[in-house]
Amino acid sequence: MKTSLLAADARTKKRNAAEARFKAYGFAAIIVAMLALLILLTSVLGNGMSSFRQTYIALDVALPEEKLDKSGVRDLSVMSKVTTIGYAPILRNALLDALAAQGIETELSDKDIGNMISKEAAATVRNKVLANPDLVGQTVSFDVLASGRIDGYFKGRVTMESAALDGNTSPEALMIAQALADAGVIETKFNWNFFVWPDASDQRPEAAGLGVAILGSLYMMIVVLVLALPIGVASSIYLEEFAPKNRWTDLIEVNISNLAAVPSIVYGILGLAIFINFMEFNQSSPLVGGLVLTLMTLPTIIISTRAALKSVPPSIRDAALGVGASKMQSVFHHVLPLAAPGILTGTIIGLAQALGETAPLLLIGMVAFVREYPAAYTPDAGLFGEASTALPVQVFNWTQRSDPAFVERASGAIITLLVFLLIMNAVAIYLRRRFERRW
Amino acid sequence: MEDMYHADRAMSTQQDIKIKADKVQVYYADNHAIKDVDVEIADKTVTAFIGPSGCGKSTFLRCLNRMNDTIDICRVEGDITIDGEDIYDPKVDPVQLRAKVGMVFQKPNPFPKSIYDNVAYGPKIHGLARNKAELDEIVEKSLRKAALWNEAKDRLTAPGTGLSGGQQQRLCIARAIATAPEVLLMDEPCSALDPIATAQVEELIDELRQSYSVVIVTHSMQQAARVSQKTAFFHLGNLVEYDDTDKIFTNPEDSRTESYISGRIG
Amino acid sequence: MQSLTLPFIAIAGLAVLGYFLAKSRALQVSEGDIRKLVSLPSQHALNAVLATIVPAVAAILLISLYVRLTDGTGSWFFQFVVIGLAVTGLALSLIGIKTETRARTFAERWILGLLIFASTIAILTTIGIVFSMLFETFNFFGQYDWRDFFFSTNWSPNFRGNSDLGIIPLLWGTLYISFIALAFAVPVGLFAAIYLSEYAGPRMRSVAKPAIEVLAGIPTIVYGLFALITVGPFLRDYFAAPMGFGQSASSVMTAGLVMGVMLIPFVSSLSDDIINAVPQAMRDGSLGLGATKSETIRQVVVPAALPGIVGAVLLAASRAIGETMIVVLGAGAAARLSLNPFEAMTTVTVKIVSQLTGDTDFASPETLVAFALGLTLFVITLGLNVLALYIVRKYREQYE
Repeated sequence: MKTSLLAADARTKKRNAAEARFKAYGFAAIIVAMLALLILLTSVLGNGMSSFRQTYIALDVALPEEKLDKSGVRDLSVMSKVTTIGYAPILRNALLDALAAQGIETELSDKDIGNMISKEAAATVRNKVLANPDLVGQTVSFDVLASGRIDGYFKGRVTMESAALDGNTSPEALMIAQALADAGVIETKFNWNFFVWPDASDQRPEAAGLGVAILGSLYMMIVVLVLALPIGVASSIYLEEFAPKNRWTDLIEVNISNLAAVPSIVYGILGLAIFINFMEFNQSSPLVGGLVLTLMTLPTIIISTRAALKSVPPSIRDAALGVGASKMQSVFHHVLPLAAPGILTGTIIGLAQALGETAPLLLIGMVAFVREYPAAYTPDAGLFGEASTALPVQVFNWTQRSDPAFVERASGAIITLLVFLLIMNAVAIYLRRRFERRW
Repeated sequence: MEDMYHADRAMSTQQDIKIKADKVQVYYADNHAIKDVDVEIADKTVTAFIGPSGCGKSTFLRCLNRMNDTIDICRVEGDITIDGEDIYDPKVDPVQLRAKVGMVFQKPNPFPKSIYDNVAYGPKIHGLARNKAELDEIVEKSLRKAALWNEAKDRLTAPGTGLSGGQQQRLCIARAIATAPEVLLMDEPCSALDPIATAQVEELIDELRQSYSVVIVTHSMQQAARVSQKTAFFHLGNLVEYDDTDKIFTNPEDSRTESYISGRIG
Repeated sequence: MQSLTLPFIAIAGLAVLGYFLAKSRALQVSEGDIRKLVSLPSQHALNAVLATIVPAVAAILLISLYVRLTDGTGSWFFQFVVIGLAVTGLALSLIGIKTETRARTFAERWILGLLIFASTIAILTTIGIVFSMLFETFNFFGQYDWRDFFFSTNWSPNFRGNSDLGIIPLLWGTLYISFIALAFAVPVGLFAAIYLSEYAGPRMRSVAKPAIEVLAGIPTIVYGLFALITVGPFLRDYFAAPMGFGQSASSVMTAGLVMGVMLIPFVSSLSDDIINAVPQAMRDGSLGLGATKSETIRQVVVPAALPGIVGAVLLAASRAIGETMIVVLGAGAAARLSLNPFEAMTTVTVKIVSQLTGDTDFASPETLVAFALGLTLFVITLGLNVLALYIVRKYREQYE
């Protein structure tokens, strides 16, 4: 049976069709993966970008002495007896004045108009007054936060239809807001406070920020870096350079690869049982969080450090030993510096993992509602011992709130987290490119 | 000019021409690996390609069944015809071509399957057997031709990777034969084998000549002298000399060939 | 913990003092000619520093552990011992400085000791994990029958007591979600790996590979939020509700699909390594016989890589079973034994979180059950990991 090469026979055609199908499956798999990434990022960005902008109302607030400081002596201890409840009507009056000045008429009650201002605004103004008592008696310009619903209206989250069904706002209030915005009284600005302010209660999503969470995450990263890097490098050096090949080191090796695959929540249980219940460290503290994350990150750092040490050729060690250096000196003077870029890259990637980890932190109490910025050291709580929260946990926290405005906050927090991760990974990639050595 | 003269002589002594290469160039990215090679390979003959390492003999061999297609940066120019058909014609399916032009590699590379499945692989994918009985027959015939039947018949279900090196290479030859090729390309088939296994494979090559056109790349001049009827000497990507094996080894025309066979380059 | 501040400051001060004292003493015994010394002054100094710090810090660790175990209080005796050890270490190392002292060898012994200690932390972690769960699990089984825990099909904790704490509905949810995740991730990840390593051109690879790596670097909380706000409502509105499967946005399908996306890079990068470990000769052998690429992949490469791929799938399964945030946000909280994938179900990890957050009472079985759940989870994932790592290791040895 002589067949020509120039004409494909029936079987070859069938086989080539199968080939094309197979290739298409592979291509489809890539498309599915890329599409998943695209949808995920679009979803997060779409929901979260608006959290970086916030709606403010520019008000000229008259600060009457008879309300804020009856004594008139500007004594802080007396003035601080006036709570935010005392400040709220002042702000409401300022808004009513602004409406009148713009000639905006409304049938809404004064109370409903007052609700257009965030409850947080009264606290902000009060803090400013207490910081500078001389303001009392004057009329001062403030940019105060609009309520979450008004903010949502300008971001497209709240519509006339949804407002009609909402007990906390009304279409009339939105129309007033629109009129104020047209007049330039209401403005949406970059929300720097999102990164600075602490969390806020359920009723005031517009004031919720990441300040405490970022600080807590930063403290934990410091703990992880300070503990995991030296311990990881030391144990890698031992295992790679000094350890004899025996059952014990075999056990350690198997153990490390297993630890790398233990579910993160198990580390949370470990932290709860050992660090909190047994050692009695403070709940919710960055110290405990950092310790848990250290144990979790160690295997990653050890694995990458060992790879970096392994990639230094034996000739370097021989050269050092050949001029009379001890084994220890050859490692610390020659091998370790050459492996440093690889170790650093691995460490940054390990830190990035730790930064995004949530589950174990839930168990050690970092879900708590914390409004106080934690101090790095206090004599009572010790180093990093004050209650705090962390970026990913803050995200989780906000997903558990009922007000849909918190979905925006959670997505915004995730964007912030992703930006931090992006920076860390970019640094790792840069280091790898810059210092990578091919032997 | 000199090359043309040798080509003429080679033709005059031969019967059917199986493969004809005309001004073949091969590039790896910017590297010009094969320069202007013209050669005519006869049917039912063993043709040896010899030359120092990196001279392009393996590259040229891989052009003959388009195995170079699997390397992204590789580019082939010029004409290679088999039975008068241009194998680089866009209409040619390399899959069909490779069924016709089998290949045996430097290192024995049996699949991690049973001996039987190794040999049956080609016939199965090409649909050469209509039923199990026919497949059994092809497997047996191929193993017999590869002189492996007696050693393997009792362990057809054992993994092919469990055989010795020489047996593995013969298994690979059986595997190649099973697809009923017309040409068999062998890329240094004995370089990974010990002397005894080498002798067995060489004997086998001599028998295969009855049915196929065999092209063998070898770095061993003795091997070329033992198994081949025609020899081509490659140097730095050029085909320096192509002639009857006896002629090349006793009375080469080109000074470079002489230097190589007397061991001064290589 | 404030009782540690003083000892640490004291140790640090002594170490600095030791550094300079040892250095000057070494110079002094050498009578100004350091060539007379066997070890350099800086090595004497290093030895002194380590001799001051290492035993004292080790004592702090041991004593604080002892104090915790016996519920005693450390205070003065404790600080005395620690500082005493530091002073002794410093004094001994200073007295030992002679011209023929091998300070370098001593210092290196201290360092080696530290290195060995660091490498045992991995072991200590495992021991810590096991013991932290084992004790509370025993407590739990003292209050709750283990047969009910393992074989009861009902999970309804009740903080007034009389809870049903059967693990079966939780395991069912865990396995169902993991199954969906793997059913999605394994084909996609495997085909993606095959396409990238066997078909894709360099440009395609330069786009797709980093994209998949990005997927791997995204924290699970992000996937959880994605499940909660996008995938869940989408599945409910376009699949579950119209097809009459239910009205829940949290569902096995939601969590499973999102977890599947999370596992794609995991499966594909492991498979990629494994497929690349199959020698090129094997591929050439098949192509040389006239097999098409896909025939080569399906009949030669994948079977050759099968053990490795199985190992990768097992590792992915262990990941899926232990995953927490995606199921917390995507799967729901109701323990249910049902086949409907659009219904909310819950998992072992979700219940660990819910039993251990908020108000916890470490005497009640409702809290302690979390430790039994954790131990079960640990044992299952450990089994899968050990098996998978063993298979992968064997597979690699085959081609080395």
